[in-house]
Amino acid sequence: MRTHHPTRQAGAGRIRRILLTTALLALAFVSAWRFSAPSVAVAKTPRAFSSEPRYITPADLRLSPDGRRLYIVGQGSDSVLVVDTRSRRVAGQVQVGSKPQGIALSPDGRTLYVSNEWSDTVSEIDAGSLEIKRTFPTGWGPAGLATDRTGRHLYVANGISNSVSVIDLATGKELKRLATVRSPHYITASRDGRNIYVANVLPYLGPYDQPPVSELTVIATADQVVRERILIPGVIELRQIAEAPAAQGGYLIVPFLRPKNLDPLISVEQGWVVTHGMAIVRPASGRMPLEKPSRVAQVLLDDIDAYFADGLGAAFTPNGRLALVTASGANVVSVIDTARLTQLLRQAPPEGLPDRLDAARRFVVRRMPTGNEPRGVVIAPDGRWAYVANRLADSVTVLDLAQLKVAGTIDLGGPREITMLRRGEQLFHDARYCLQGQFACSTCHPEDHVDGLAWNLETPQLGRDRVDNRTLRGIAETAPYKWNGHNPDLITQCGPRIAKFLFRSEGFNTEELQSLVAFLRAIPLPPNRHLPKDGELTDAEERGRRVYFRRYMTDGRPIPIQNQCATCHPADMHYTARISADVGSANKYDTGGMFDIPQLDRVYESAPYLHNGEALTLEEIWTVFNNQDTHGVTSDLRKEQLNDLIEYLKTL
Amino acid sequence: MKKTFVIALLLAASAAAAENPPLITRWENFTTANGMPDQKVFCVTVVGDRVWAGTEDGLVLIENGKVQKVYRPEDGLVHRVVMGIALDKKTGDLWIGTFGGLSRFSGGQFTNYTNLTSGLLNDIIYGVAVQDNWVWVATTAGISRLDTSTGEWRNWSEYNAPFHEPWGYGVAPAPNIGKVYFAVWGGGMIEYDVATDTMKPYTDPDEEMEMVLFRNQGLVHIIVSNIAYNPDTKMAWASTYFGLSGYDGRNWHNYLTKDSGLASDFVNAPKSRGNEVWACTDKGLSFLDYKTQTWVTYRPNKQDGRGELEITWPDNKKTKLETPTSLAHNYILNMDFQGADIWVATAKGLSHGIREPKMEAQLYASAGLVHRNNRKPNGEGRQVAQANSQKGH
Repeated sequence: MRTHHPTRQAGAGRIRRILLTTALLALAFVSAWRFSAPSVAVAKTPRAFSSEPRYITPADLRLSPDGRRLYIVGQGSDSVLVVDTRSRRVAGQVQVGSKPQGIALSPDGRTLYVSNEWSDTVSEIDAGSLEIKRTFPTGWGPAGLATDRTGRHLYVANGISNSVSVIDLATGKELKRLATVRSPHYITASRDGRNIYVANVLPYLGPYDQPPVSELTVIATADQVVRERILIPGVIELRQIAEAPAAQGGYLIVPFLRPKNLDPLISVEQGWVVTHGMAIVRPASGRMPLEKPSRVAQVLLDDIDAYFADGLGAAFTPNGRLALVTASGANVVSVIDTARLTQLLRQAPPEGLPDRLDAARRFVVRRMPTGNEPRGVVIAPDGRWAYVANRLADSVTVLDLAQLKVAGTIDLGGPREITMLRRGEQLFHDARYCLQGQFACSTCHPEDHVDGLAWNLETPQLGRDRVDNRTLRGIAETAPYKWNGHNPDLITQCGPRIAKFLFRSEGFNTEELQSLVAFLRAIPLPPNRHLPKDGELTDAEERGRRVYFRRYMTDGRPIPIQNQCATCHPADMHYTARISADVGSANKYDTGGMFDIPQLDRVYESAPYLHNGEALTLEEIWTVFNNQDTHGVTSDLRKEQLNDLIEYLKTL
Repeated sequence: MKKTFVIALLLAASAAAAENPPLITRWENFTTANGMPDQKVFCVTVVGDRVWAGTEDGLVLIENGKVQKVYRPEDGLVHRVVMGIALDKKTGDLWIGTFGGLSRFSGGQFTNYTNLTSGLLNDIIYGVAVQDNWVWVATTAGISRLDTSTGEWRNWSEYNAPFHEPWGYGVAPAPNIGKVYFAVWGGGMIEYDVATDTMKPYTDPDEEMEMVLFRNQGLVHIIVSNIAYNPDTKMAWASTYFGLSGYDGRNWHNYLTKDSGLASDFVNAPKSRGNEVWACTDKGLSFLDYKTQTWVTYRPNKQDGRGELEITWPDNKKTKLETPTSLAHNYILNMDFQGADIWVATAKGLSHGIREPKMEAQLYASAGLVHRNNRKPNGEGRQVAQANSQKGH
C-alpha cells in the first residue's frame, strides 16, 4: 500500500519555498543564457584511470576441462589472460572489448566467450590460440554468460537491459531476449543441461517500506523460455550460482546479503544490519505454473562476532562434499562441509535459519585468506585445487582443498605500485573497517552503484527519514552530498560520519580517506545506452527535450522559473543545481521537506526515485507524486508528452 | 455402360462443386458450475495444450480438460477483468490486457504496467498483441506500444494519429506484409505501416450511416469492435456492429445477414486462418468457408439446449442440423483455434468446440447429404483429415 503525502506545515513550507525560489532565481539569472535550448549533450564514456597504470583487475575465471589452463577476465586491462596451472605463470593474453565482465567456455573447451560490459558485445575467442574469432552484439551491459550443453546457444545476462540474450552460435545472431528483474549479472547452466539459472543482483522494485524480494530466473533450454521465477524474500545481491552434483542433491547455492534497511542503522552495534549468506535452492522439475515451485532455504555464512561480507563466488568440488564461497569484502573463502549443511537443513526449522548467526559454525569448516576482493572461484576437475580471482590484487589465490590451506598465489603481472586510486578502491571494497566486518562501502553500492533500497539511516529521530540509496557513478562534481545536502564534500561524507554513524569504528585514517575520496571522484559514468552514438535524438526524445526546457505551459501561461525542469536540473551541471529544494516529496516519515537536488546522469539506471525511493519508475515521479505541480509543471501534459519527457531524460 | 459413366461423371462434378464445410459436432462447456470464476468470458487464447481465458473475475488456466487455476489480483494480476491475452511466441510470456492495466505473466510471476507506473496510455485495455519486441495495447484512449528491448512506450491517439475516435478495441499484427491493424470503436480500421511508421485510417465510405449503399465499397461501419489478420490469405478482417468486413489490401469483402449466412450484423470479433473466417456475434458463432462461400452458424437451441447448426450454401439455401451439445451461450465474444478444435468465449461460459469426423458424417447423412470434405484442416486438424481418409470419406 503506497503512502501519500500528508498535509505538511504550510507556513514552514512557504518560507522554505521563498528561500528556494530566491536561490533559484539568482542561479537562473546568472546562467539563464546557458539553459536556453542547449545543444544535445553527447554521452562521454570517460576512463576511470586515464593517467593511472593499468591494473588487470581479474573479475572472473574459468578452467579448461583438463584443468591445465586458467582463463581470467582482466576487467581493468580489457583483456583475457591465460595461466598455466602447472607453472602457475601467465601464458598468454588477448585484448577484448571495453570492461569485460564474464567468461564462459564452450562444452568442448575449445572456445571462450567473454562479455564486454561497456561495448555491449561478446568476444568469441579460440581457447588455444587466443585469436578473436567473432564479436556478437548483445543487450546493454552484458555480464555473466553460459553456453548450453549442446554448445549451440549462448545465454548472456544483460545487466543494464535487465534481460538475457539468447544467441545462436551458428549465426552469431540474437534469437530472443528474455526479461529478468534488475541487474542480472551471473549465469550458470545446470549440470543436466535442462536449465539456465540467472541471478539478479538488484531486487524487485517494490514498496519502499517493505523488505526486498530478489529473483533467481530459470530458463528452460529446450524451448528457451523463462520456466520459473524463483522468489527469494528478504535478500539482495544474488551472485554466482553453483550446483551440487546430482548425487549430493543437485541443489543450488547462491550467495546473497540480507539487509535490514527498514531498521534504524544504529543497530550496527547490535549486529544484524547487513548479514551475508546464501540461498539453497532445490529447483522444481515439473511444468510451471501448475507444479510446485522450487524450494528455497537461506543460511548465513557470518559468525556471531565476525562477518564475512559480500559473498560473491561459489563452487562445488566435483564430488560435492565441499562448497566454496568467496567473501569479497572480507578477503576470505569460506569452506562448507555440504554433509553438515544438509544435516542442518534437515534438522533446523527453515523459517528461523535466515537470521541465525550461530548456524555457519556448524557447516563452515575453514575460512581461508585471499587477496583483495576475491570474486570468482573455480575448482579443478580432480577436486584438489581451487583458484580464486583477487580482483583488486591482480592475483589468483590457489587453495589446496586436500589440506584446506592456501597453496600459493599466482601473480598476474599487474603494476607493482599501489596508487592512491587503487588503494581507495581497495578500501571501498574492504569491510574490515566496519565493526565486526559487517559491511563495506561496496556492500550497499555494488558496482559503485545502488542496491535499490531505501535505508533508515540514523537521524535525530529513529525510524524516520528513510532515504533512497544514491549512485556513486559520476559524482565528483555533484556536491553537496547526502539527501539533506549537509555534506559539502566527499571528505566530510566519508570521514568521521562514516566512522561514527555507519561503521561504528575508527574508520579511515587521513591517508586512507584521501585515497577513498580520490577513488570515489574517479568513478566514471557508464556509456548512455539510450543516446545514439551520433548524439542525434529520436523524434520522441527531441519532443521531450522541448518539454524539459519549456518556459510556458501548453495553454501559454508562463511556468515560474523555479518550477522549470532546467532550473533545478541544469544541463551543464550534471543536471543538478547543487542546492536543496522542496518538491513536495516528503511524507509522514520525513522530518523536513528540503532535499538535495539529484544529478540526472544515467537516471534510467537508478530506480527507484525521489529522496525516499517511493517512486518506483520515472513515470511515478509525476503521475503519483506531483499532484500539485510542485516538482515541475506536468499536470498540463498529455500522456504522450510525459512519455516524450521520459525518453529525453533517459538520454542524459 | 456409357449411361453409368455419365451419371458417375455428373456425381463427381456435383461433389466437387458442393464440398461440405467442416462441422463442430460436440461442445464441452466450462462454466461457474465446473470451476470458472465468472460466467462472462471475454477472451480466450490457446497456447499448445493450455487454454487461457479472460473472465470478469480473473485469468483462467485450463489444462487436461479442467480449470486448473484462476489468477486474480491477489495473485499479482493487475486487475480482475481480463479483456485480452496474447502470447509472445519467442519468450513464452503471456501479456494480459485488463480493465486496470497490463500484466506480463512469465515464469509464474506477474509484472504489471499501468498508466501511473509506466507509459501506458490508459488502463482500460480491450486488446493486446505481440509482434517481435513490440507489445501492442489497444486502450480506451488510443494505442500504446511497449518496446521490450528498450523499455520505450509510444502512444497513438487523436492527438498524433488519424483517430476519429480514440477507443482502441483490438490489435492484429500482420508481420508478413509489414503492417499492424487496429480496431477503433467509432474510428474504423487503422493500418500501421512498420517501414514508414505511418498510420492510415479506413472508415465507412457511407459516413456513419447504419446501412450499406454499395456493397464492398469499403469498411461496413466505423464502429469496429475487433480485428483479425489471416497470414495465409493476407486479409484483415474487421468486425463491426453492422456487419463483417474483409480487406485484402486492395478490395473490401463485406458480409451482412441479409445476403449471407452471418448470424447477426452485430459482430464482436473475427478470427481467420486458411480459408476459414469466423465471426463472433450476439446471435451465435458463424463460420465462413471463404473458398466456397458456405456458411455454418452455431447457436444453442433456447428450448432444449441442444446445439443448432445452420448451413447456408452458396446459393443461399439452408440446411439445419442438430447436435446433442451446444455452445454455452449465443452471445459470443471471442474465440481461438486449437488444431481442428476451437475455443469460444461466451457471455455464459467458455466452450470447447470439437470436430468428430464420424459424427460429422452422420450429421450430413441425417440431412441426406453425402459427406464430402476433402480439405485438410489446419495444424493438428490434419489428423482429422487423415482419419477421414482412412475411413474412406
